[in-house]
Amino acid sequence: MSQPIAFLPPRAAVLSQRARIIADLAALLPDGGLVHEARELVPFETDAYVAYRQLPLAVALPRTTQEVSAVLAYCNRHGIPVVPRGAGTSLCGGAIPQPDAVVLGLSRMSAILDVDLDNRVARVQAGVTNLSISETVGPEGFFYAPDPSSQLACTIGGNIGMNSGGAHCLKYGVTTNNLLGVTMVLMDGTVITLGGAHLDAAGYDLLGLVCGSEGQLGIVTEATVRILAKAEGARPVLFGFATSQEAGACVAEIIGAGIIPVAIEFMDRQAIEICEAFAKAGYPLHVGALLIIEVEGSEAEMEAMLAAIVTIARRHSVMTVRESQSATEAALIWKGRKSAFGATGRIADYICMDGTVPLGKLSHVLQRTEEICTGLGLRVANVFHAGDGNMHPLILFDANDPAEAAKAEDAGNEILKVCVEAGGCLTGEHGVGIEKRDLMRFQFSDADLAQQMAVRYAFDADWLLNPSKVFPLEGRPAA
Amino acid sequence: MSDVHRPQTEAEACEVIRHAAGTGTALSLLGGNTRAGLGNRVQARAVLCSTGLAGIVDYDPGEMVMTARAGTPLSDLEAVLAANNQMLAFEPIDHRGLLNTQGAPTIGGVFLSNASGPRRLSAGAARDSLLGLRFVNGRGEAIRAGGRVMKNVTGLDLVKLLAGSHGTLGFVTEVTFRVLPRPETEATILLPGLDDATASQAMAAAMAQASDVSAAAHIPQALAQPFSDILGRKTVWTALRLEGLSASVAVRVTALAARLSAFASVETLDALASNTLWRAIRDVTPLQVRQDLPLWRVSVAPTAGHRLVAALRQQADIAALYDWQGGLVWLQMSGQPQADVVRRTIAAVGGGHATLIRASDDQRSGVSAFEPQPEPIAALSARIKAKLDPAGIFSPGRMATVLGAKAGPIGMTG
Amino acid sequence: MQTSFTPEQLADPHVAESEKILRRCVHCGFCTATCPTYVTLGNELDSPRGRIYLIKDMLENDRPADREVVTHIDRCLSCLACTTTCPSGVDYMHLIDHARVHIEQTYQRPLGDRMIRGLLAAVLPYPARFRAALALARVARPLAPLLRRVKPLAPLAAMLDLAPRRAAKRRPAPASGDHPAAHGRVILLEGCAQPALDPGINAATVRLLTRRGVAIATPKGEGCCGALVHHMGREPQALDFARRNIDAWTREIEAGGLDAILITASGCGTTIKDYGHMLRLDPLYAAKAARVSALARDITEYLSTLDLEPLPKRDLVVAYHSACSLQHGQKITALPKLLLKTAGFTVRDPAEGHLCCGSAGTYNILQPEISATLKRRKVKNLEATKPDVIAAGNIGCLTQIGSGTAIPIVHTVELLDWAYGGPRPSKLGG
Repeated sequence: MSQPIAFLPPRAAVLSQRARIIADLAALLPDGGLVHEARELVPFETDAYVAYRQLPLAVALPRTTQEVSAVLAYCNRHGIPVVPRGAGTSLCGGAIPQPDAVVLGLSRMSAILDVDLDNRVARVQAGVTNLSISETVGPEGFFYAPDPSSQLACTIGGNIGMNSGGAHCLKYGVTTNNLLGVTMVLMDGTVITLGGAHLDAAGYDLLGLVCGSEGQLGIVTEATVRILAKAEGARPVLFGFATSQEAGACVAEIIGAGIIPVAIEFMDRQAIEICEAFAKAGYPLHVGALLIIEVEGSEAEMEAMLAAIVTIARRHSVMTVRESQSATEAALIWKGRKSAFGATGRIADYICMDGTVPLGKLSHVLQRTEEICTGLGLRVANVFHAGDGNMHPLILFDANDPAEAAKAEDAGNEILKVCVEAGGCLTGEHGVGIEKRDLMRFQFSDADLAQQMAVRYAFDADWLLNPSKVFPLEGRPAA
Repeated sequence: MSDVHRPQTEAEACEVIRHAAGTGTALSLLGGNTRAGLGNRVQARAVLCSTGLAGIVDYDPGEMVMTARAGTPLSDLEAVLAANNQMLAFEPIDHRGLLNTQGAPTIGGVFLSNASGPRRLSAGAARDSLLGLRFVNGRGEAIRAGGRVMKNVTGLDLVKLLAGSHGTLGFVTEVTFRVLPRPETEATILLPGLDDATASQAMAAAMAQASDVSAAAHIPQALAQPFSDILGRKTVWTALRLEGLSASVAVRVTALAARLSAFASVETLDALASNTLWRAIRDVTPLQVRQDLPLWRVSVAPTAGHRLVAALRQQADIAALYDWQGGLVWLQMSGQPQADVVRRTIAAVGGGHATLIRASDDQRSGVSAFEPQPEPIAALSARIKAKLDPAGIFSPGRMATVLGAKAGPIGMTG
Repeated sequence: MQTSFTPEQLADPHVAESEKILRRCVHCGFCTATCPTYVTLGNELDSPRGRIYLIKDMLENDRPADREVVTHIDRCLSCLACTTTCPSGVDYMHLIDHARVHIEQTYQRPLGDRMIRGLLAAVLPYPARFRAALALARVARPLAPLLRRVKPLAPLAAMLDLAPRRAAKRRPAPASGDHPAAHGRVILLEGCAQPALDPGINAATVRLLTRRGVAIATPKGEGCCGALVHHMGREPQALDFARRNIDAWTREIEAGGLDAILITASGCGTTIKDYGHMLRLDPLYAAKAARVSALARDITEYLSTLDLEPLPKRDLVVAYHSACSLQHGQKITALPKLLLKTAGFTVRDPAEGHLCCGSAGTYNILQPEISATLKRRKVKNLEATKPDVIAAGNIGCLTQIGSGTAIPIVHTVELLDWAYGGPRPSKLGG
């Protein structure tokens, strides 16, 4: 059985100065921007990856980039680790603090600063939720494309940290493909601006490097994102299959035929039951696997693409094909899908994997996932972005049973190894965080990791930003 | 430059680089050398060239992913893609015409210069298609970054960092990238006679439609001549390309033409003519003629492009071609590059950056080819460069701020 | 999520229930996004997930409530937007109810706070006292700015602000008579604060129902539903109110032929529908309470069963404000709008319809600052729809929103009564 994941030992020099640090930070954050009472720190001890918990030293809730800069400069001077936090929806423990760390929460920086429809960009503060951008520009016929399932709550700052994807990135790409610029504060308090409303970088693509860096390189306080014109129409269609294998093979053939719908989502029987219980979206309950395939465009375009998809699906013995009949129904279909993780909480605790595999390996990895979980006596629900091979097995367990919790963690690790062996990666859109940190060596050689860490070092020489995450604790370069 | 290293394997490349690092020998990193002249002059005693590393390593059309060695000629690779009805989404520009170079562009060179064409507006840049790569760092270590799946947030994204680094951070040996199905057909809507400002409005209006416009360009009066075969006698054109299934393109052409009829009386180009037009826009054909004149490539916000050009016309004699809805401005100067004027004006219209693409040695004097960076970013870039290339042997100077240039007090050492 | 309670702790049925609720939470954080206080304050401690954590920590450690925990629990509006959002089905309502009782039992509030709460609990649920208080308020209104400056007295200022400027006409509900019913027989909750603030609402209800041949019973002994004190954690008092109503209504039920207990103030409706749960551990009342809850209906739910005929379109734009107790508490979202549309009104939904207006029972008195921020936000969204009139189904919202806009605001049933033959609501003028 695997050992619990270790955090860096807290810095004694920081812990011993707690009172002074709190007093100093409180002075930098007028207006009640510092949380430090013992009771009040408890809700910040974890995020949506509840397997690990650590109380922070304090929680800073700045309102401006200048306040962020002041806090970081202070922490840098005094060697205090900083853990950034958006909405705390990380599924890999990206925002879990540690006893010597200040949590820097962006939740009070949630303004949409500027919407420029002619240039199709929006400038927002990092604490703005993903969905609120689309809600703001929606009435004008635009949307922000990356749509992680937690888009209702998760923040753009967090999305940038994790290079978040979503259901619709099959066509529109992930965060890095839709991000044009950031204002960001380096650990020493320096404020820099990368990119803007224009395309591509002037020098090195630091924006590309920062996106997905999990709060290791600096704290993004503002972002310029690209917004897109909404398609004329969009329609999710449900395809039910007897087995996961048939559904998986159907996905591979659709993509292989050069058809790229906006989204292809997969659910197995367990996931269908869970989502239907919450959303009542009318998912077929008699099938073994379900694909939600969304097409968009004009009526004629949707018809043409659907016809081609149905032809392929029939070759894979599709059992049911049902088009959404109304906007309300379409919304319910997506609500069910996007609530899948949370809805699983109705029946059990879970950990959610995020490995991505080449499409041709989907069926194989699904089967191995089932075998691994069954072998350990665990149930698993599969619900994921099939079109880009981004799998989300939900391993179900009882959090109050430590033995079963440990087994679930073992199963998760085994599944991720299978993903890497199949030519995929540990994490497609959730990030490494604390959860997958010690698995990094399955995917990368020592030299690969050393090079990444060296680049990280160029940003934060004292390794203060989110220091226990992403990179294995052993083999880190000395300061 | 006497020595030319052309390793046949990654291990050989590691050997060459370890030796160069040990002796402090600067290397100019090259692919097919068709983009020679991009960036500042490199002071290097030897050349390290990727053309010995050629060939497609892995390609599964069903997965829309290809892995190729960095020195693979682009033409070979595109032929294989075409045979499978697929393509590179970002439509890489071929610099040979602009720079008057010979030889065969390589896929490594495409990604290292982040060479993107008109479809960059809708489908992303080269860097957006690049999923993974192998490279040799300045210590002579072979490093793998990224992977072969579209969604991947495992570790730091060194792939993006290397893309567009022009051979100053590492010697890339292999690239893995996403490809897309080739559209069944295309068509172009043409709006004749719009002035630059109106053209900008028309393009913004088109991009705001649900028409999935894949490219938007504006060809002002002085530059239309080379297009006369395609465009006829009218001299100013705004062009919008639609791609996809035939039925869908037809529907969208009609809808978009109706929406834009308020701007001009709309004409359309069929697939063949459209293809020819966009290839010419991609390779900036109208500005290939005067090899003696300096050429800038400017990226600004789309609606700032025409404002930039108008402001510059007050101060200099220029010719401009607009792509990317007006945000990519190809700017040909009449005499000197006038870097200060160009860069100051870019800042004044809201920011962006200018790259000097073509200039004689004389004209380059005192000019940084790449936009000088603000001090903290330049310092950061220098630190990053030092982490990848500690001995500073990779193409020194190519992306540096040239001393004597006005902005950016501290240059990165790239 | 993981919990750690001892078997001894779980022997307490209230703790056991809370443990079950907590186990469902997977900490996904979706609830934060739709929580009015998190959206306003940007601190996770003032979000459902933060409060769930605070409650869990307090209960697991068997700790008396303390100032920090109380501060954040008190800021909860109990609007229940979080339960609409929660994919895991966390029963936040009963968890926060339990926490409030725990606070009331284990925490001594500062004197000023205690006095205000005592005053509210002693006045609001009793119509006669409340009417007297309103009369007093009209006289004392000039004191409001003064009171606002003294922090502990700010709630008093808020009360004065909310009190209507003119006394409501005391219109006794028109005698409906207890005729044998053609179309049904119902109880209409008289209520406590509502008749004092706006007797026109139930008057309109009686007219509309009577015209449709519905007989309205008027049971003796009925009183406040208990919601006001329930939300202050004063459980014994709340249960007494509940039992009293259950006794009164049970007599009617047992007399036979009762179709429904109708409520025109949705805040009360949510509580009455919860009587079955509130009294589940009371062997004498559990069954009766469940029966009452099963019969409880919001007025719009009942009207929807009457098949009101479609009327020609009329030239009046209604912005429909969905009271939290209706949309989140009772999950009634489309029905009221459908009724209004059927009656010929043009109905518009404001943006951020899921956000509370800040009324929330006594919240606008006890948390005047947050409440005022939410009111401004709500009014802005409502006014953006450019309505002729705002309609809502809860007296608290009517009072709160009405104090922030010049646009007339009425109860949904008043518009329906007018459309189906009743008088034009006086608030619409002319």
